Formats: sequence, C-alpha cells, structure tokens
Amino acid sequence: MIEYIQSALLIIAAILIIISAIGLISLSSSTKNALYARIHIVGLFDIACVIAMIGLGQYLLAGIYFILAPFVAHAIANAYWKKEDRENNIDLLTVEEEVDENHPFIHPKEKMQALESENSEKLKADDRFSVTTIEIDEGE
Amino acid sequence: MDILIISEYILVIALVIMMLASLRASAYKSTSMGLLGSSIIVNAFAVALLICGSLYNLEFYRDISLALIFFGFVGTIAFAVTLGGEDK
Repeated sequence: MIEYIQSALLIIAAILIIISAIGLISLSSSTKNALYARIHIVGLFDIACVIAMIGLGQYLLAGIYFILAPFVAHAIANAYWKKEDRENNIDLLTVEEEVDENHPFIHPKEKMQALESENSEKLKADDRFSVTTIEIDEGE
Repeated sequence: MDILIISEYILVIALVIMMLASLRASAYKSTSMGLLGSSIIVNAFAVALLICGSLYNLEFYRDISLALIFFGFVGTIAFAVTLGGEDK
C-alpha cells in the first residue's frame, strides 16, 4: 500500500515538473517582467521536488529544501530588481501621478500640504536676501 | 516490473526534460536568468541523485544531494547579493 502512495507521489511530481518545464520554455521573452514570471514557475518546480523527496522517503531533505527554496527565489528577484530591471527600464524610477478625470481640480490634502511647505521654504530662502539701498548724500 | 521503479524512471525523465528546459532558459539575455537556470539544474540533479540512490541501494547519494542542495543555495544567494550591489 505504501508503495502505491510513493509511486503516486512520484508521478504527481513528474507531472508538475513537466508542466513547469513547458511553462519555462513557452513563456515569451518579450513579455513584460518575464523573469518574475519564470521565478514563479520555478516555485512550482521546487514544490514538485519537495513532493518527490517525500515520495522517496527523504523527509529531512524535503524540509530543508522547503525552507531554502523561497530564499533563493527572493534573492534572485531582488538582485534583478535592484540592478538590471532599474538600469534597463528607466521608466520604473519615475512615478506617474494619477489624475482623477471626474474631479481634475481636487487634489489630495497631503500633496497640497507638501506644496505649501515647499513654498514656505522658498519664501524663507527669499527673506535671506535683503534689498539694500545706497544712500546718496547730496551735500558732498 | 514494480510500479515504484517505473514511477522513479518517469521522474528521472521529467527531471532530464526540466534540466534541458532550464539550460535553454539560462541562455536568455538576462544575467539573473542564468542564475535561475543554474539553480534549477543543481536542484534537479540533487533529486535525480536521490532516485539513483534508491534504485541501486546506495547510501552516499543522499549525502551528495544534501551537499548539492545546501551549497547550491549558498552559491545562488552569494551571486545574487553580488549581482544586486549596494542599496542606493
């Protein structure tokens, strides 16, 4: 009976691994943010490996792999985001402001407060320059 | 033929297909994609070694696969940290 359960687990793992292989290949490179999608697919492969290890009776290895796999996925995604994605897509660094089309003249309170504080700082900076007048003594 | 052995062979074939797919995927232009592909290959090889160990009743395959999983993890993390650089 245990043999049947083990073989069922192994076959399930094999099916999941083949599905993830097809997904990894068939995902087009022109897709936006393709690497994050591929990391997502690799998550399926990781869980398939954990199922296979359980089916083979290696529970400790399955536990270790189950804990370590998310760290790897996060590290790769983080490295890609910090370096390649930012350098290749400069648009990511500029944040577009959303304008409500129904109420184009209504602005959020925090934004207006920030603008007011900027203006007040400019005013303070302008106050530092005092206008000097030259007094001309007509008697000389 | 035992059903367990058949399923183990099926799993080995699936792992080989996954290795080939990740080899193709690691050849894409991004460096992170190469890192991801190498990580997949190491893990697939570790599971394939476990299956070989159970097929031929050899114990030391388990130790090698444990080392592969652990050091593959360490290498991937180290390379990812180097690739990411410092925070700006």
